[in-house]
Amino acid sequence: MIQRLLPFLTLIILFVALALASPYFLTPANLSSVVRQTAVINTMALGMTMIIIAGGIDLSVGAILAFSGLLGAMAMQAGMPIWLGVATGLLAGAFCGLINGLLTVRLNINPFIVTLGTLGILRGVTLIISNGLPVHRIPPRFAFLGEGSVLGVPFVLWLLALCAIATHVILEHTRLGRYAFAIGSNPDAAFYTGIPVGFYTAAVYTISGLLCGLAGMIEASRLMTGQPTAGQGYELQVIAAVVIGGGSLRGGEGSVPGTLVGAFIMGLLSNGSDLLGISPYLQQAIIGAIIIVAVTLDELRKRRFAS
Amino acid sequence: MLLELRHIQKRFGGVTALRNGNLAVDAGEVHLLLGENGAGKSTLMKTLAGLYLPDSGEILWRGTPVRFRTPAEAAAAGIAMVHQESLLAPHLSVAENIFLGREPRLPAGFVSRRRMMEAATRLIEEHRFPLQAGWRVQKLSPAGRQLVEICRAIQHGSSLLIFDEPTSSLSESETAEVFRIVRELRARNLAVIYITHRLEELRAVGDRVTVLRDGETVHSGNLSDTSTPEIIRHMVGREFSALYHREPLPPGEELLRVEGLSRPPLLADIHLKVRAGEVVGLAGLVGAGRTELCRALFGIDPVAQGAVHVAGRRVRIRNPRDAVRAGLALIPEDRQRTGLATRLPLSQNITAANLGALTRFGFIRGAAERRVAGDFISRLRIRADSPAQLAGRLSGGNQQKVAIAKWLFRQARVFLFDEPARGIDVGAKAEVFAVMDELARAGAAILMVSSELPELLQVADRIVVMREGRIAAELPRGSTQEDVMRHAMLENAGPKPELRS
Repeated sequence: MIQRLLPFLTLIILFVALALASPYFLTPANLSSVVRQTAVINTMALGMTMIIIAGGIDLSVGAILAFSGLLGAMAMQAGMPIWLGVATGLLAGAFCGLINGLLTVRLNINPFIVTLGTLGILRGVTLIISNGLPVHRIPPRFAFLGEGSVLGVPFVLWLLALCAIATHVILEHTRLGRYAFAIGSNPDAAFYTGIPVGFYTAAVYTISGLLCGLAGMIEASRLMTGQPTAGQGYELQVIAAVVIGGGSLRGGEGSVPGTLVGAFIMGLLSNGSDLLGISPYLQQAIIGAIIIVAVTLDELRKRRFAS
Repeated sequence: MLLELRHIQKRFGGVTALRNGNLAVDAGEVHLLLGENGAGKSTLMKTLAGLYLPDSGEILWRGTPVRFRTPAEAAAAGIAMVHQESLLAPHLSVAENIFLGREPRLPAGFVSRRRMMEAATRLIEEHRFPLQAGWRVQKLSPAGRQLVEICRAIQHGSSLLIFDEPTSSLSESETAEVFRIVRELRARNLAVIYITHRLEELRAVGDRVTVLRDGETVHSGNLSDTSTPEIIRHMVGREFSALYHREPLPPGEELLRVEGLSRPPLLADIHLKVRAGEVVGLAGLVGAGRTELCRALFGIDPVAQGAVHVAGRRVRIRNPRDAVRAGLALIPEDRQRTGLATRLPLSQNITAANLGALTRFGFIRGAAERRVAGDFISRLRIRADSPAQLAGRLSGGNQQKVAIAKWLFRQARVFLFDEPARGIDVGAKAEVFAVMDELARAGAAILMVSSELPELLQVADRIVVMREGRIAAELPRGSTQEDVMRHAMLENAGPKPELRS
């Protein structure tokens, strides 16, 4: 039990340590900046949690973010109202997720390969559509999505909470979630049980795509730009968040609280390093080491109970 | 004494897997290790093979105390294990697997492929194994893979071989081949520890026998001094009279009718009927098409032609989902791989096929699910700590009950059991058969595949014998093993072990 709580404990210890080490850490300005910075990774990680539970992986999440953020921004630049621009981004993301899901299911190709391919395709398409240039002419009020506050709390935190609760409820209390666990734990057994494996796999990728679309719009709002090169390397941070939070790449394991903790651990590390003046080069190495330590501890826990 | 295990204890967390494991094995003997699942046989062997360190007790190897911390240390001492699940590298050749880790070296570290092939060929010919050094292990049947593991052990100069249920996935002729090899190893003064569930096999190979029960050695002695009922009594700790006798029922309506089902080249023109309350046994050699028939009926493999009727209605089954909707259930041969989600709680396994019944407004009703799981756990006497226990942590027999419970909850009417009693112990077998009998009494139609003829003959109301993808015969209750085998094998066509698949 202690080990299952280890990520939570790490987060708390990290929080307390940073509060003691830096007088700026506990200021509202800094905390809301941590929240805003991690919101994008967190939102994507929710979708990735579902995919990894279902035994899959999606390397194209960063590319989906850029693609949907750009399309949403272009829609607004073309004069569409903000809500329609956001909807465009969300739909674009969901569509990309659906394509990933269908390719994985129909071609029966390892999702690592499929999404490695769509990562390239989407990056290329995004650059072609935008000519490699960022989209700037966005209505100023769009900034509210990424930078606004409601009741003194960053709007993105409300959004994240909503998405997290929804994802958690789906995973733990609906058929879709149950089947995701079943498919990830043993795809053959799921098929033999009569579970429509293809449909539910595609559904999981689509939901993840939708969340990436939302993350794309948040990112666009924070930058007030549709940036075709946005989200480079996010896929690794997203996967890291899920894995630190107890998700297993063998499928069948993972949870929303775990993933949130994983993402916040990485967020605090990066924020703390900035506050304490640790070089960003070292930050990368620290996060890499944390991933290995977290997964090792998790494996040890499982092994102890396995036999 | 070549090997002595004394008072071995091993605990995992709060569970004691072995409380007092004792075993003495001499060179040149075949020592049978028996016990129900969970009795501690595998744990005892794993302490010997360097996979587990015992908590207490001692291992004497050639009279001196030893501690094997890794499989490599055990192998270096001369102990080899032939695994039930093959641990070979499938993409490499037979020769490469035999020499894996001990390749003959040339100067500068290169591997001498020629010397390796020659040595492997010599070894294979010396033992008259139906193998070739150049074959890819991937293409070998389970029996062929075992032979490669045996070659490996011999090549490495092992003096003790542990066979963990070597014949559980083999056909009769392959089993005979394994027996021949075991006897030959004994003749070369090697020691063999042989774990099996098949009581009929005992007399064919064993010299001495040790029985484990609940982590403790309860009997050890010469096989010739011990009767089979006595052995069973030691294993289960109670009298085991009429093995699995079933009273036949008056058959009800026809629930499954198969007409002219074909799937070239594996299945040809299959006709079959099963009525409510009937248990139809499907007999045949390995490769005769029994599993293939189950898979085709359940929509896993495509069918070229033929019609399937369930309860008088023609059904089209293109995938397991269609099959489940039509009221079919498949309890597959390989529970771990295809029957269960071993890393999920057993409650979720039980409800997986019928979640719709537990869902309201899109949400699974947790309380109802727990109640359903609890009901089946008590009804089928599934031994588990709680409904939340992972299915993979249950013993084989209890896993099988979970697999059955899944379809009971789905209210399936036609049950396809593929080797329902494979790899589970005597006591659990009887319980699984009792559940099947209950099912039949409740009006289900059961088609049961089994390679264990005695149990098939006792449980089934009729026996359908398959040979080379066809129905070769249909035999009534009361037929003998000889009747079945005569139809299963073409007379006088002494089958060669089929080692390449």
